[in-house]
Amino acid sequence: MNKGLDYLFGITAGDRDGDAPGVISLARQWAAKEVIGNRLDYQRNYAALFEDKARVLALNMGLQRLAVPEDQGGFGWQGPNHAADIAAVLSEVGRADSSTGILLALNYVLFSVLTRFSEGRAGFVEAVATSYLEDELKIASCILPGPGSVGEETPLFKGRSILARVKAHESGFVISGADLRPFAAGLKADLLLVVCADERGRPCIAVVPGDAPGVERGRGLLTTGLNALANADISFVEAEIKQENLIQEPEAIPLLFTLLNLFLGGVSLGAGMNFFEILLDWSDSRIICGATPLKENPLCASVLADAAEEIACSRLLLDGLARLVSPGGNVQSLDAEGLYTYAVMIGARVQQSIMWAINRGMELMGSAGYAKEWHAEKHWRDVKTIQSLLCGVGAEAPAKMDTARFFCDCKEI
Amino acid sequence: MDHFDEFSRPLEYLSPMDRHLRSVLRRFIEQEVMPVRRQYDEDWKEHALIEPAFDRLMGELGLQKALFPQEYGGWGIAGSDYIFRFAYLLCEELGRADTGMAVALAVTFWPLLVIHLEPYVNKRLIAEFAPLFCGTNKAMFAANAMTEPQGGSDIENMGLLKGRTIRTTARLEGDEWVINGHKLWPTNSGGVARLFGVPCTTRPGSSDIDDFAFIFVPADAKGVTQGGPYEKSGMAADKNGDIWFDDVRVPVWYRAHGPGRDAEAFYQLIPFGQVASIAFLTGAMMNMYERLYEFVSTRTYRNRPLKENPAVAGIIGRIAGDIDICRILGHEAAMMGDRRNTPYGLPLISEELVGKIRNIKDFVSDRAVENLGKVMDVLGCYGPDRDWDIEKHWRDIKIIQLWMGGKQLCQMESARYFFNCETL
Repeated sequence: MNKGLDYLFGITAGDRDGDAPGVISLARQWAAKEVIGNRLDYQRNYAALFEDKARVLALNMGLQRLAVPEDQGGFGWQGPNHAADIAAVLSEVGRADSSTGILLALNYVLFSVLTRFSEGRAGFVEAVATSYLEDELKIASCILPGPGSVGEETPLFKGRSILARVKAHESGFVISGADLRPFAAGLKADLLLVVCADERGRPCIAVVPGDAPGVERGRGLLTTGLNALANADISFVEAEIKQENLIQEPEAIPLLFTLLNLFLGGVSLGAGMNFFEILLDWSDSRIICGATPLKENPLCASVLADAAEEIACSRLLLDGLARLVSPGGNVQSLDAEGLYTYAVMIGARVQQSIMWAINRGMELMGSAGYAKEWHAEKHWRDVKTIQSLLCGVGAEAPAKMDTARFFCDCKEI
Repeated sequence: MDHFDEFSRPLEYLSPMDRHLRSVLRRFIEQEVMPVRRQYDEDWKEHALIEPAFDRLMGELGLQKALFPQEYGGWGIAGSDYIFRFAYLLCEELGRADTGMAVALAVTFWPLLVIHLEPYVNKRLIAEFAPLFCGTNKAMFAANAMTEPQGGSDIENMGLLKGRTIRTTARLEGDEWVINGHKLWPTNSGGVARLFGVPCTTRPGSSDIDDFAFIFVPADAKGVTQGGPYEKSGMAADKNGDIWFDDVRVPVWYRAHGPGRDAEAFYQLIPFGQVASIAFLTGAMMNMYERLYEFVSTRTYRNRPLKENPAVAGIIGRIAGDIDICRILGHEAAMMGDRRNTPYGLPLISEELVGKIRNIKDFVSDRAVENLGKVMDVLGCYGPDRDWDIEKHWRDIKIIQLWMGGKQLCQMESARYFFNCETL
């Protein structure tokens, strides 16, 4: 590739200041040295190498501490003003490996939510922060509202069924819920952000330690992508949590969705950019009709253009979302509802666009795009998995309802 | 609708074997494939689970004999006027369970068709190879070794390139062909096939179709080396690998038909492969419908079944509609192949027939890729879960869109026919 990724897709990167360019560069070096430069080895020994490489990034290079508040020993990137920088870091990581990107993203979501609603739970936040400073890989995950089952009436969050319930118990709460599907890492998660409903059916977030009594993990799931994150269903059998572990502020769940859409959009964007690098390499070096490089064939060039267009536009959309999360200058400030709606819209669009780009690009690569050797298919599987998890049940229908509710004041949908 | 069988197909197109064979295949699938297919991905290299199922399907049920004349113990399907519809039924029914298994069986027919389909019949070679497939109860595979490293699927672009880019050479020495070259990706390679059909050139760089040769090579011939199977995104039941031919010698009469006729007989494989591909896809989409039906009937949004939500219904209604349309198109494509010898039919080597069938395959591929992706999203966090089977079909069928020249070649063949393009 003659022009670098920054030139092609990073046209808004110049806005960054402070430590951000250095941290982003660090993540890029990790991606190049630890994964992309040893792609075949990484792929062949993925199960064994995933955690080793993630440790290098999270612990040795310190990215686990990125969103830990500064006064607690971290880098202090937990606030909205760093949302764009975090998304950019996650894109660099996603270029190498989406699972590692998701692992970091979920940790950043955890701290962003905890610190945003830290009032009255400073001790809890400090304890979590301290654990993230240890020399041990930490994994957070979340359980979002999703599909209910016919015959069961559940509390709802914007139409989606909330399957976990909390109720007061002694000085804290107990949480219950069977066979809940986490976003990722059900077998390993140290902390879970669980969207649940209180005794009055109001949505809230319980922060549940993975080792709390009453937390039961199911068998490991085989999934399309992100298998390194070892997902499994989780049941809560009257699992006890402390009072400060329950976040009841109404803005918390919209913020959780907003950050997931931004950060996981960053991961998928990175995967898309690396796919584009692979695709360009392919179309530069392979010929069609006996003589013409693929990229010089007009039909193939139009496919390359499709892929580039989707990735470039996704980058701009994510940059726009990051500005909405951290408004300043001429950017209009949105309330939690508006921000949530924009995040869901943009998040869904970005995932669709990256999937479209990869699907189109694979058409050019033919069977090679399908072979594990070229790594294109891993990005394809990983991003599809992120898309399905993020967009929620019903494909785009629930997101469309959110959008219609916001823009059109629909009341019954 | 009560059952997935009720997706439309023109009933007057059904072959005489349809009812019986469909019932036999469905019983086989329910007993031998459905209970274990979720474990096939981990069995991609060893085929410890997959091989016994193939033995039952191809050897014991006898499908590997289907093309051969009855005098050799076969079923005589190649001589019937319904071979395309037979193949459609077979590939759709198997594709519902596992498209990798379906393609491994269909591709066994592929090189054998070159010597079986009128007017390109080679009785001596049929007699030579019949015992291999008709004389055993163990699965026996054949492969079409087409794709080469430098040109991808240029070889399938016979209409334009006429074999000009083929680098695998066949040199006549005495009463033997001496073959040298390197092929990639054939279905049933990776150590599976016992017989290869090898497109090669007798004069490298030539665009004269007389220089195109289709030569059969036993897999155990001296000088044939096979690599191990590739690790792929899906399609575990279909092994693919490299094959090297290093001064491989076969009898002169192992060439299918001779100058000019080899290219024509080979070109017949394109529509057959495309019709089979459409059938794999409609089979997979019918199973997708079964699993989707269960999900949207039992899971809720706003505490009502997903399928009763108008926005979700809009999505799943379109998906089911697409399956219905694709199945009608698939049967039409198969019938186009079976009309080849009628006054109102087109020869399999005609640009019109190839262009139109490629066009249908391209359309159905796009619908299948998009709809399986959409269904994964309808299932949300359960979409990527192996237990729901959707993601398996989503991974498996992507390669169907990519193979045989992929989408771009389909577009070019279509443009060539519909717009009389001369340089594409």
